[in-house]
Amino acid sequence: MVKPMDIAEILTKDSPGKQFLLLGNEAVARGAIEAGLEFAATYPGTPSSEIGDSLFRVASKYKQPYFQYSTNEKVALEAAGAASIANTRAMAIMKHVGLNVASDAFMTLNYIGVRAGLVIVSADDPGCWSSQNEQDNRFYAMLGDTTMLEPADPQEAKDMTVAAFDLSEKLEQPVLLRITTRLSHTRAGVNLGSIRPPRGEANFEREPLRFVTVPAVARRRHPILVEKVRQAREIAEQSSWNKIIGEGSIGIITSGVSYNYVREALDFLGIKAAILKLGMTYPLPKQKIQEFISSKEKVVVVEELKPYLEDQTRAFAQEKGIIIPILGKAQGFFSEIGEYTPRRVIEGLGKALDIDIPDSFAEIDEKYSNMSVEIPSRPPILCAGCPHRATFYELAIATGRKAIYPTDIGCYTLAIQPPIELADLLLCMGSSIGTACGLTAVLDKPVVGTIGDSTFFHAGFAGLVNAVYNQHPVKIIVVDNMSTAMTGHQPHPGTGLTGMGETSTPIKIEDVARGIGVPFVEVIDPLQVKESIRILRKAMKFDGPAVVVSRSICALLEIGQKRRAGEKIIPFEVDTDICQGCEVCTDKLSCPAATWDGEHAGIDPVLCVGCGVCAQVCPYKAIKRRETK
Amino acid sequence: MKEYNLLFTGVGGTGVVTAARIVATAAIAEGLNVRVGEIHGMSQRLGAVTSTVRIGDSVHGSIIPPGKADLILTVELIEALRCADRMNTDGTFIVGMLHMAPTAVLLDRATYPSDEEVLNELKKYASVVTVDAVRLARDAGSVMSVNIVLVGSAFGLGKIPLKEKAIISALKEVLRPRYHEVNIKAFELGMKAVAGT
Ligand code: SF4
Ligand code: SF4
Repeated sequence: MVKPMDIAEILTKDSPGKQFLLLGNEAVARGAIEAGLEFAATYPGTPSSEIGDSLFRVASKYKQPYFQYSTNEKVALEAAGAASIANTRAMAIMKHVGLNVASDAFMTLNYIGVRAGLVIVSADDPGCWSSQNEQDNRFYAMLGDTTMLEPADPQEAKDMTVAAFDLSEKLEQPVLLRITTRLSHTRAGVNLGSIRPPRGEANFEREPLRFVTVPAVARRRHPILVEKVRQAREIAEQSSWNKIIGEGSIGIITSGVSYNYVREALDFLGIKAAILKLGMTYPLPKQKIQEFISSKEKVVVVEELKPYLEDQTRAFAQEKGIIIPILGKAQGFFSEIGEYTPRRVIEGLGKALDIDIPDSFAEIDEKYSNMSVEIPSRPPILCAGCPHRATFYELAIATGRKAIYPTDIGCYTLAIQPPIELADLLLCMGSSIGTACGLTAVLDKPVVGTIGDSTFFHAGFAGLVNAVYNQHPVKIIVVDNMSTAMTGHQPHPGTGLTGMGETSTPIKIEDVARGIGVPFVEVIDPLQVKESIRILRKAMKFDGPAVVVSRSICALLEIGQKRRAGEKIIPFEVDTDICQGCEVCTDKLSCPAATWDGEHAGIDPVLCVGCGVCAQVCPYKAIKRRETK
Repeated sequence: MKEYNLLFTGVGGTGVVTAARIVATAAIAEGLNVRVGEIHGMSQRLGAVTSTVRIGDSVHGSIIPPGKADLILTVELIEALRCADRMNTDGTFIVGMLHMAPTAVLLDRATYPSDEEVLNELKKYASVVTVDAVRLARDAGSVMSVNIVLVGSAFGLGKIPLKEKAIISALKEVLRPRYHEVNIKAFELGMKAVAGT
């Protein structure tokens, strides 16, 4: 019989040649383990989360490699950087905007270099599937003179992670592994390699004239960094990750997942071309690119987001006096907005190469847009029984919707959706508090920031210190669901669980707030509607900065726990004899389990998790827990 | 093997990802080249989601181009329609008749179309098979296995080019032992529901 294997087993199995169906992110984790990973740190963020989560499973089960969910990406990179300087193979994992947070460390770590391999994973999000922007982090490699690898599929993700460690050790420099959502969340068969032993003893050899970046040291290290880039470019020229596939007078330069679409597009269009598939994309193999383009009639560059390869290719051509058409974004054949798809690449190549695209797409579009039914949209929303929904319901009443509501990054950002609509301003992690400070300083209006527990630890704390010290009368609601819920329920410093799967003393947000001198700090249970409204009203009236910690476990976690414990989840129901059809429960609370038959409210017993909030909201007491038989 | 594209569509958090993984695991066991596309993160919170399974030597990425899906499986009725542009004219929709009204419908800002309207529209794209997936899943022992019912129906109709044995062992490989029985039953009930059609 087939025995189910958990991911920790698969990732640590030393069986070279065996194939498993792995997610791109799992493949990165496996690659790191094959390379002898000893230390990893991350702050979870879609699309990177499953890399850390896989390592969390491994570390919890086998107690190695060391793994932590750091408070934020900057801390993660500092920790991983130091570990590698202390001769320990290390990895720091983050989403693209996480590298903004870590950028201060990133931009100087390259100056001092590393000892054991250090790989920094940046998971970019073209298409903003789960992010506030779609910045192109390949430019961080260029900005930070950091060698970069870009895999196209899960097998390459695994293999390039191993290669990234090798390169890092060879150059004694950090290496950036740049992946994107589509790769992170694609599964494919991955052939495993063998697992290397760890490097051995950690030790810190003092070398202050290298590792302490006072100006005199930094000045000395900069030319060394430039020399490292030169060496890396030589490696790139020879690297088998930069390879030519196919032949013909048309050349295509591409990297990452776009390569897959190019392959499929060439099949679709029935044309031949030589593809220069770049896997090592900083520094670029200048000569190799020059040789490639000089043998072609024309070259098309296919890459998501910014014209990173395209502009450099054009510069390389100019340097050598190569005059051929280099086609891409400059001429408008491709867009720098959004995620690419096979279709977009087919159409872009068709336009660039002046080939007719079979009109099937146009037909499909026409049919689809002329559909006789309108499909109601289905954006993501807060779950049934989500305590955030209760908090926002109470907040709407306590503030009369008259405040300004800066929000933050987490599930509760979904407060932007109707009927909650209590989200007015969002930049980045922790911005709810910083922006609330600015708003209260210039406006004479109540300002209520909402921030999650994990986000508070990540970047909210400094903002709160600022609010207290500068006496901004901000009202901060920390919606504490005891988890980093949106990214997959990772632990954080408030949960009492570490990345090694061990217990630690939880840090309470109300203690932090009191400790830095917030004069009004209260804790509410949002599932108690009346009492919560009372305290929120009190906070609104308070003259000065106020923090209300609204604490109730994430509904998904709670049902998971109950199911595992074999506990029954007893849903609520509407007594249609009592229901007056006032629509308060459906229109004001709008739990996804609520239904409406035109006269009376109802509750879907499959979706309802039995939180009881709707029962407190109904003015006629028509909602009750179901009788259990 | 000729390119084969399967699209699961539905509402985030209702088991779309797991069902796709089971089919792909079976394909891997048969030595085929596979790509699975999943959606993680924000859309998983009751938003519209899709999962793709692509099989064949010419497959590189995990996105199914317009007009290329051979099979679309959905438990929630209108989600089939949302993905209709992906459907190949020779393809098949297998649709569970679950209706989950999005919030906009609850707030009277949108209407949920009638079964007839949706099915007629789907038929303009390809053939449609409806299955009472929720009831069958409940009969099998858990509503959570609705997507496996659809996999069973699709297999029963000969729309999944894999062996039954491979699918059953994939199911055991992917799911925890205590869910095996329910899901195998769901698969079988799904298959039975379309027998003779
Ligand atoms: S008790 Fe009411 S609010 Fe809570 S999950 Fe059930 S229907 Fe939703
Ligand atoms: S709030 Fe109570 S009375 Fe009003 S529609 Fe809902 S169940 Fe009926």
